[in-house]
Amino acid sequence: MHRITKITGYVAIILVVLSFNFFLPRLMPGDPLSFLTGAPGMDMPIVLDEETRAKLLTYYGLDKPLSQQFYDYMLGILHGDLGWSIYHNAPVSDILIGALKWTFLLVGTSTALYMVLGILLGAISAWNRGGKSDVGLLVSLLSIGSFPPFFLGMLFIILFSVKLNLFPAFGAQTPFMEYSSLLEEASDILYHLFLPVTTLVISHIGGVYLLMRNSMLNVIGEDYILTARAKGMAEWYIMRKHATKNALLPIITMIALRTGFMIGGTILVETVFAYPGVGRLLFDAVMYRDYPLLQGAFLIITLVIIAANFVADMVYVQLDPRLKHD
Amino acid sequence: MTLLEITSLKTWFPTRDGIVKAVNAVDLKIEDKEKLGLIGETGSGKSILGMSIIRLFHSSVKINIEGKIMYKGKDLLRLSKEEIRKIRGKEIAMILQNPTTSLNPVLKVGDQIAEAIRLHQRLDKRTAREKAVEMLKAVKIPSSDKMANKYPHEFSGGMKERAMIAMGLACDPSLIIADEPTKGLDVTIKMQVVKLLREVTKQRSMLFITHDLGVAAEICDNIAVMYAGELVEYAKTEDIFKNPLHPYTQGFLNSLPERGLKPIRGMSPSLINLPDGCRFHPRCDYATGICKTRHPEMVEIENGHFVRCLLYD
Amino acid sequence: MTEIKDLNRFWNAYKESRLGLIGLVILLFFVTLAVFAPYIAPYDPHEMFKPMEHPSSDHLLGTNDIGQDILSELIYGARVSLFIAFFVSVVSGIIGTAFGLLSGYFEMFGFFLMRIVDAFLAIPRLPLIIVIAAFMRPSIWNLIFIFIILGWPITTRIIRSEVLSLRTRNYVEAARMVGAPDTYILMKHILPNVFPLLVVRLIIEASHVIIAESSLSFLGLGDPVVKSWGMILHYAFVYPTIFISDLWMWWMLPAGLCITLTILSLTFIGYALEELVNPRLRGMTRI
Repeated sequence: MHRITKITGYVAIILVVLSFNFFLPRLMPGDPLSFLTGAPGMDMPIVLDEETRAKLLTYYGLDKPLSQQFYDYMLGILHGDLGWSIYHNAPVSDILIGALKWTFLLVGTSTALYMVLGILLGAISAWNRGGKSDVGLLVSLLSIGSFPPFFLGMLFIILFSVKLNLFPAFGAQTPFMEYSSLLEEASDILYHLFLPVTTLVISHIGGVYLLMRNSMLNVIGEDYILTARAKGMAEWYIMRKHATKNALLPIITMIALRTGFMIGGTILVETVFAYPGVGRLLFDAVMYRDYPLLQGAFLIITLVIIAANFVADMVYVQLDPRLKHD
Repeated sequence: MTLLEITSLKTWFPTRDGIVKAVNAVDLKIEDKEKLGLIGETGSGKSILGMSIIRLFHSSVKINIEGKIMYKGKDLLRLSKEEIRKIRGKEIAMILQNPTTSLNPVLKVGDQIAEAIRLHQRLDKRTAREKAVEMLKAVKIPSSDKMANKYPHEFSGGMKERAMIAMGLACDPSLIIADEPTKGLDVTIKMQVVKLLREVTKQRSMLFITHDLGVAAEICDNIAVMYAGELVEYAKTEDIFKNPLHPYTQGFLNSLPERGLKPIRGMSPSLINLPDGCRFHPRCDYATGICKTRHPEMVEIENGHFVRCLLYD
Repeated sequence: MTEIKDLNRFWNAYKESRLGLIGLVILLFFVTLAVFAPYIAPYDPHEMFKPMEHPSSDHLLGTNDIGQDILSELIYGARVSLFIAFFVSVVSGIIGTAFGLLSGYFEMFGFFLMRIVDAFLAIPRLPLIIVIAAFMRPSIWNLIFIFIILGWPITTRIIRSEVLSLRTRNYVEAARMVGAPDTYILMKHILPNVFPLLVVRLIIEASHVIIAESSLSFLGLGDPVVKSWGMILHYAFVYPTIFISDLWMWWMLPAGLCITLTILSLTFIGYALEELVNPRLRGMTRI
């Protein structure tokens, strides 16, 4: 019963997002196509040839009634038709799929790293509350987490790419390179992945660290920790077996919500490092006023985040034995 | 044979508002197979006294413990962290208050019992689990095999208390410290728990901490009364009831429902700002001028009956 | 009378947190820069001199690509960045608290409002802002407007859950039984207890806005005339030789550090406040 309400909720949100995507260009001041044809008052008039203009008109279907447009739009989404990119002159869905794999690689690696590290460091900090390691971790993580991701990225480029020449400053792979083996390709990818991932991890580890630390501090004060100690269990065992699971429960959902925040950082990091992911595509689309691509990228990003939230919701219910029996 | 001997135990907590003097120079002895009751109201320091025996405090809590606690030839307060861990659960087991919060909600009850067994007796997982089921049976929990696989929230209040007792007994300790084992339980359940405790501690010593004198009377051989961090009276159970000497003990007895529910006037003192002289004098009907300035010593009035009061000094 | 005493007690407790004090000092520094910008900055930030000048006695941080003095830009940038951050956090805080109080206290209203809040929160903030900003003219007030619209839902949710738990407290029940009107209960009993939470939220929201605004500006979507720190970084970043030469040292680094330090100060202050407000986190040692 509970599950059905949850799923309906998510479906509703997806519909809201889709509608938002549909209505946004139509709600913006002025005739929707004026920004495409460069009406007076716009900053970046774009000159379109007749062919592209006709394609876009059909895409937006502005001659048809609104309900018809909406229906066509929804149908198109279901078929994976996200429109035609002006700048890249190719179907939006193709471009997005090519970029998605890079974003997944970047976000996946970073998330795994900062979550594991953040949880571990948060637990250690809480267990040694007030001690040297706690204060040191707290101050340093809070401080380096204050660097905006794009600034941090720029500093890394200057330090590691330009000055020390250790890592490349842009791209996901070395351009025009021929690989002799899978291993060589993998290592080239990792080589390019290193700085962006480090930037993202440093930017986000502070949040999870604090969450875990707080949650752990709450758990430490609980009676069952005393009971475990009364049985003679070792401190690290208690921290691992008794405390961590209890401390993780309330923050699992919060961690999933953080993926939403992480997207912002990802867009910035991809831009700074010219990493060919969806975030960078979004940014380019904004720069070139490539509206179909813009909408498509935004839609994909939002859907992925909603999916992440959904997964977290389901996982949480599985983990807490008290909820399983309701 | 004296199993545990506490000499001059002081447990103090420095806090921002002042030093909390929870236990002040307490002397106590527990013999082999003796059941000693430790009676006092909330805030008297009795739980802290129990915890001090096995130094059950979180490492980040600032605490000062002084004195001597001799157990089987060793001073527990001088042992290293490793050594005291070996004692906890195995030699001296403490059953903490409030089983609802003292059991880990995300671990199965059987596992929580088994882990102590695995640690102290070095048994493998399966044998330890079998022993855990045995323990649940020993505390009269029905379908012990099934219940061992369940989580604490699936147990009733009385069953949770029994599970705590099972956890305490699992490694066959010589001394059990039971902190308020009957608090919050229905009267019938209370009696069942008391009966159970009587049975399982036949061959063991027990320090029974409670504010419920009636329950203590059922189990304990001797009773020590604690007030504001120190012992004010000590005697055999029957002597406490027949001939309570300290005004606080008398007041305590009078506050029982059977004796009229007469409360002791005033409030329990702050453990940071203890009254001068006799700690009880602000609430004592028999207090005289000297009680305000002189702190009484513990003296033996009759055979085995001690009291700390200027009335008898 | 009691309010002054409470404020004193609050300040005394706050003073104990070293991080909180450091944060406060840094923030006050930037606020001073912002408030007294016209008196501190050596030049008008729009005035144009010789472009791409290296740091000299005339221009301590050199000039940018169109000849404006970078140091003056930086000082005036404090005004822009801080103004946006605090304006947005206060206004969205007020709106969020008002909605939070109402939705926590009145069931029906709360149910519908929370659906809207859920929808807002499900959509990721930065991409949404980027998309909206792409369709709108980049100006400071447009940015502020967007941030406020996107900022109030989180505050509403937090305040609402606090109100829900406060509603069941004894003194609230008692007041209702005596027949006190709802507005009275809200104002007298619930709002004062929600206040500490609100203050913490304000600080955290301000730090988020600074990050969001500087990120947006960095991407080129900020106000090109009323330059914030993020905008300075944008122009630096798109300049071709920014990384290869030493240009970054005086053009990029100071602006980035200003943003970082401001966020740092707000983070420290927020941390200190949270320790005060949440007693479970308190221990013997204050960090």
